[in-house]
Amino acid sequence: MAVHKTAPLKCWKKAKELREQYYRDYASAHERGGIRWTGGAWSFDAIPYGLGDDVYPLTGEPYAASIAFNREFSLECLEATEAKGWARDLCSYMRNYWGSMYLNRFLFGGPYPKPNFGFQDHICCSHAKWYQVVSEHEDFPYFSIDVSVGPYEEVRDDPHKIRYIVDQMHEAIEFMEQVTGREYDDEKLIEAVKNDCRSTSTWAKICELNKHVPAPLEEKTMYSLYVFGTLSKAKKEFADFYDELYDEVRERIEQGIAAIPDERCRLMSDTQPPWGFLKLFRYLETYGALSIGSLYTFGLIGNWETKPDGSWGARTTPMELGVEIDSRDKALEVLSEWTLSRPEWQHFYDPTLKTKMMAQIAKEWHVDGVMLHLNRGCEGLSCGIMQNRNGLVDTGLPVMTFEGNMGDEREFDMGRTTTRIESFMETLGLQPLETA
Amino acid sequence: MFSQFETWYRDRHDYARRWKERTGGKVFGCFCSYVPEEILVAADILPVRVLGNHEPQDVTEQHLFGMFCPFCRDVLAQGLKGRYEYLDGITIAQSCIHLRQTYRSWEENVPHDFTYYLPHPMHVASPHAVPYLYEELKKFRAAVEQFTGKPLSDDDLDRGIRLVNENRAALHELYAHRKGPVPKLSGLEAMWVTVSSMWVDKEEHTAELRKVLAQLDEREEQFGDGTRLMLVGSENDDTDFIRMVEAVGATVVTDDHCTGTRYFWNETPELDDRIEAIAKRYVERPACPAKDHVARTRFPHILKLARDFDVAGVILIQQKFCDPHEADMVPLRSYLEENGFPTLFLEFDVTVPMGQFRIRTEAFLEMLMEEDLF
Amino acid sequence: MITIGVDVGAKNAKLLVLRDGEIVGKKSRESGFDQETVTNELLAATLAEFGIDRDEVTGICSTGAGRKAVQYAGDKITEVTAAARACFELYPDTKTVIDVGAEEGRAIRSGERGKVEDFAINEKCAAGSGAFTEAMARALEVSVDELGRISLKSDASVPMNAQCAVFAESEVISLLHARTPKQDIAKAIHDAIASRIVSMTRRVGLNKPVVLVGGMARNVGFIHSLNTAMQDEVRIPDAPEMIAAYGAALVAAERAVVAATETGASGPG
Repeated sequence: MAVHKTAPLKCWKKAKELREQYYRDYASAHERGGIRWTGGAWSFDAIPYGLGDDVYPLTGEPYAASIAFNREFSLECLEATEAKGWARDLCSYMRNYWGSMYLNRFLFGGPYPKPNFGFQDHICCSHAKWYQVVSEHEDFPYFSIDVSVGPYEEVRDDPHKIRYIVDQMHEAIEFMEQVTGREYDDEKLIEAVKNDCRSTSTWAKICELNKHVPAPLEEKTMYSLYVFGTLSKAKKEFADFYDELYDEVRERIEQGIAAIPDERCRLMSDTQPPWGFLKLFRYLETYGALSIGSLYTFGLIGNWETKPDGSWGARTTPMELGVEIDSRDKALEVLSEWTLSRPEWQHFYDPTLKTKMMAQIAKEWHVDGVMLHLNRGCEGLSCGIMQNRNGLVDTGLPVMTFEGNMGDEREFDMGRTTTRIESFMETLGLQPLETA
Repeated sequence: MFSQFETWYRDRHDYARRWKERTGGKVFGCFCSYVPEEILVAADILPVRVLGNHEPQDVTEQHLFGMFCPFCRDVLAQGLKGRYEYLDGITIAQSCIHLRQTYRSWEENVPHDFTYYLPHPMHVASPHAVPYLYEELKKFRAAVEQFTGKPLSDDDLDRGIRLVNENRAALHELYAHRKGPVPKLSGLEAMWVTVSSMWVDKEEHTAELRKVLAQLDEREEQFGDGTRLMLVGSENDDTDFIRMVEAVGATVVTDDHCTGTRYFWNETPELDDRIEAIAKRYVERPACPAKDHVARTRFPHILKLARDFDVAGVILIQQKFCDPHEADMVPLRSYLEENGFPTLFLEFDVTVPMGQFRIRTEAFLEMLMEEDLF
Repeated sequence: MITIGVDVGAKNAKLLVLRDGEIVGKKSRESGFDQETVTNELLAATLAEFGIDRDEVTGICSTGAGRKAVQYAGDKITEVTAAARACFELYPDTKTVIDVGAEEGRAIRSGERGKVEDFAINEKCAAGSGAFTEAMARALEVSVDELGRISLKSDASVPMNAQCAVFAESEVISLLHARTPKQDIAKAIHDAIASRIVSMTRRVGLNKPVVLVGGMARNVGFIHSLNTAMQDEVRIPDAPEMIAAYGAALVAAERAVVAATETGASGPG
């Protein structure tokens, strides 16, 4: 008794190809005389693009999430890391990545492709240590940018904080020139910064469309789409893809196409999911429930702002505002300021900032309940999560928690989690569709 | 000889309350050893390092997810249970995520007149760290001035720097008495002194320590028979543990803890710009692993301590779930062992399984003795 | 109207028969590997023992980890809903239900008519369940019952880590080595679990009155520690381990009434 039309995304195939191409390009970059670098999804990836058009990143988090999705290989990786003596409760992305390195096996075939350099930022302790260890093991030069400047609301009006980051970026460029022997091209940097702003703003616009009832997208699908922002926000092809995706999602709404046929309950999640168990989201559908997204899928790579009417929407890009980006320094300044405004990072400083954003999402996206993944795999995104829970409960939202790990399946119990979801569904007054 | 320090260690809250009554001054809780105490002392504020009390508790689970370290939960419990009700303000310098979370939970659930989150560079090896911290310290100073209603002059800052430096110098001298073949004090005694220096009025603490230092050469009790050990790792103020280690045949002669040498090791230099001097001091001090980037400065420093204090082995102590230390432990262990220092790794919780730790410590000491034989 | 609640737990399957709101029969047996067969037999045996005809039964609702194995149950609900419903029936002013079974502990904030407003379940790596007492009793070489009884003899307070069962177990061994009296260790164990449970309960709000159900509600040592930790006397139903089955039978009755109203048919009796 489907109420809404559903249809697969037309650009799904292209998304799949783009992602495969990304890893293939990285692995084969050296054959074409190109440059490989590795770092985090949060790295200022626009900067290395100034070294040329043949620069390819490997960002650790989505790579590790892909490993986690492959449960057999993931276990091998985790065990290889533990065999070296590392603690089991460290960041599970990091442990998967390290394992792939220790085993000298690249998930997409061949040996671990050694980069020319590492380029990271220090958003959490694990991020910083991650590539300290990798660069020592693989013996490559490594640069990291410290972003310890506080939440955006304090950065906005304090030029010295932006300057601190810009100064480090200038130093990073010198470092890259030195280790690659290439001359840096500011024009390419400027283009990359614009692509970064465009892709991250467009992703937010796509997420905004999910305010619509019924939702045109559900979160499991969104995971496969937001990934481009984590692979390389500044890559032109990815920014273009988001433009295309935006048009298609808008079209879905116009044509009345929904993500699931019987949308009865709209949920919101939090933190990275247990990647090996995404079927959890399919299980929700048996109750006519879906996750419309989360601060994580919306705000890890999407840039947002509060609109004049008080609603939350995609941040207006510097290009739309007519900001002239005409020099290296200006480009770096724009890049710093833009990046620091990203929502899914503010709570590293203060959980109340996150609670406020989550409550706003709940309101504007018509959320009926919240599922918080107490994620043992990530100290950063789990930071303050119990305070978030309390804050959301105070607003009157039903909230459930389930414990797990984004990248270590040994810490996730599918049976107990589904039981917990069932209890939660019962508290929301829902019964499975077949028996309803 | 060290009874005053033991009392201060044990009765920390009574001390702070009495200090307040006596001086009418304000007391700030400091959540991390990176908080610039010089500025607080200059403003006649008593900085008090907030620590746990090693008791099981049931009040933090609704605020902190269980994957965060026992220390940060223990600290929060103290706040929620009202043990630090005398604090006028709280402040933290940015370090690990665990403690930062405790600070925010405390801020939200235990009201104080003054709260300040001090952004602090995480890459102490970067040339940009000092200029960045300089700007942040200026803002911190302004906030403190606004709170007390009294601007800080250069003379005030000089006094703050002097009082803190004098205490550091006295602690250094105390540690020097542990260097020779016959240490003049036990590790337990050193822990009482160092940890209590984190909340006792600097002047008072230095004066008491000077008294002890004057008598130390003549001290009859000796600690030369124990196997010389160093403790390295996360926050550690566990006197029960160190007492046990020294009861089974060791003498702890030095450490790398934020409640030990990392707290007092280097002094604030004399510079025309006092704030710049303070910024330099906190960037150049022995690094917490959370801040030891991009180049590692911590390992060579630890090695130097191990050599200078002529230790036979190192106990690596880590709070369960402490990410920064976990991420240093593996390379640190091999680094120390390659340099001839055997290690014993122990994972700490709010309370520790003393019996098991005793067995492991004894086995470790036996191993060190065997190495002596061959 | 006759309804039946079946609670299929990890260890035991329990069945309870309700006639017009009154409990007229209950029965339990080990759930074993083949839960489907066990629950079929349990139903047959109960009906025979209490002389009930299958056709007389208006509704059957199952609950518990193995609730899906109960083929004949028209409704299936989780233990959370079942426990809250049953506690409301027994104590209408219930605010909080604490349910500690063999495998996990749960805290439920109960609202109007036993509606679940919020719940928390102990996470992994937590020493907050009956299985933990069993492991600890083994370490002390006493039975679980004895563990509860001897702990009442102690008024010592030995701090023990309640965060992690593995750590706690090594602490028990340390205490044994240190020749700590067994009764003090037993009390430390119950204090630790109680601390863990209270800690979890605070997540949903520790509002009184509190009802304790589940297998651990039979453990006198645990009850004492829990009361001390909460500074309150928890209420304990007569058959705390039958609570989920009772709640399921109540839900079955309610749903039968609703269904009857919706179809316009009149209920039996």
